[in-house]
Amino acid sequence: MAEIIFIGLSLSSILLLVALGLAITYGAMGVINMAHGELVMAGAYVTVLSGIWLHLNIIAAIPLAFLVTALIGYLIERLVVRRLYGRLLDTLLATWGVAILIQQAVRLEFGLSFFGRHIAGLGVGLQNVTVPEALTGAITIGGVQVNAFRAFIIGVTVVLTFATWLLMYRSSFGVQVRAIMRNPNMAAACGINVQRVNALTFAYGSGLAGVAGVMMSGFKTVFPDMGTPMVVDGFLVVAAGGVGSLLGTILSAGLLGQINGIVASVTNDILARAMVFAVVILIIVLKPRGLFSYRGR
Amino acid sequence: MLALRAVDGFYGRSHILHGVTLDVPAGAITAILGRNGVGKTSLLRALMGLMLLLEGAILLDGRDIAAEPAYRRARAGIAYVPQGREIIPDFSVRENILMGSFARSDGRRVIPDLVGELFPYLVQNLERPGGVLSGGQQQQLAIARALAADPKLLLLDEPTEGIQPSIVEEIETIIVRLNREAGLTILLVEQNVFFARQAAQHFAMMEKGRVVAASAIAELTDALVHRHMAV
Repeated sequence: MAEIIFIGLSLSSILLLVALGLAITYGAMGVINMAHGELVMAGAYVTVLSGIWLHLNIIAAIPLAFLVTALIGYLIERLVVRRLYGRLLDTLLATWGVAILIQQAVRLEFGLSFFGRHIAGLGVGLQNVTVPEALTGAITIGGVQVNAFRAFIIGVTVVLTFATWLLMYRSSFGVQVRAIMRNPNMAAACGINVQRVNALTFAYGSGLAGVAGVMMSGFKTVFPDMGTPMVVDGFLVVAAGGVGSLLGTILSAGLLGQINGIVASVTNDILARAMVFAVVILIIVLKPRGLFSYRGR
Repeated sequence: MLALRAVDGFYGRSHILHGVTLDVPAGAITAILGRNGVGKTSLLRALMGLMLLLEGAILLDGRDIAAEPAYRRARAGIAYVPQGREIIPDFSVRENILMGSFARSDGRRVIPDLVGELFPYLVQNLERPGGVLSGGQQQQLAIARALAADPKLLLLDEPTEGIQPSIVEEIETIIVRLNREAGLTILLVEQNVFFARQAAQHFAMMEKGRVVAASAIAELTDALVHRHMAV
């Protein structure tokens, strides 16, 4: 039983890693960022490329992927999203376009493949990341044998979630983000530089997606389409947890991951996934605003 | 302190403010009067930088701020207490007040002593959510938030609207104290002519997006009030 719960926990932490960034860009900023999955993918490719070209291992790739995807996110906000605040469906379409651009950029090796040049680690093919010795095999926690890499993912997720909580609820930056989320005009009238804070918030959410990508690359094959199903998972978690609620996102990731793990252990993965969808539909039917959501005006 | 020169303001395609020219002298209360829908609130929003399209010049201490975004105007010393108060219901009283401090030029995030003097209730209930306060207390909170910016100029939009009568006088006293004791320049949108005459030194009467009369408060005759404010 402890093993099943541990597997559920590790599934939860992967869901949470992907959803954490969305909880910020979708939850706090009201942008449906369809490129979020591609930012996860970009983070995975940073791991692949830094392994090949810089001989960095997966742990060193975490800060690098954070910076790279945060920068991509910053550019997306500056060039596209900033013109679309308050136009939810337009953000969906525009960021979907951005998602396709990012995918193609990886697939076509930034266009170099047209000229017969190739970059090791990019292109249409599948890529693999080797996990360092220390993170392979099993370790024993509390008398239970657990996969070391899964334990590592849980650890990283806990740290990032705590860092996000500190940033959003205990820092002056977080007060500005939450004020903008509730009343952007009044926030501006109070001296908050709404455009700058929005750009940085979006960059932070994107950086989290990049870190999720690094974690994914440790146990999944890396390829240009890998992000597409993840953005679905991410939105499931955020919508079920309640838009704008960090606590809701955490609990919803925990719930869905456990359901997935438990159902998969007694039946199979496909039924488990169907069960997750069923639960999310049930939550949205019964509580259209999700499990937790801050009281609106 | 503040001077508007031929300011035109628009919401989308509707032309709301027409060539507004107005002087707001330092250290005084200037009352903006007029019927509903003549552009009083729009004028304050235009001053704060919340109106999307604006033409003309807005001079704050001689510097044109008409092209500046709202947050810069706030940091330049303009604080805004909007109609309907717009406090944040799920922020605590402390967080609501400190929101204003992002406009402080010295970057400090403190609740000014003045807030404690004027609004003892607020400083005794810093951890309560803003949303549970009564209308009058929320109005105090909105004023406290503006004061946390350590402003030079306070824009007040109908501060006694929708507040129970027993509290109205208290708010009015506070507005006068802010001007007389704390030396704040105040631009006050007001429907209550009696209070405007009592508190303000200057007035501007608006009609259909234009300033039709502006002068010292002594010139605010009953005939003028009757012509532009009687319903």
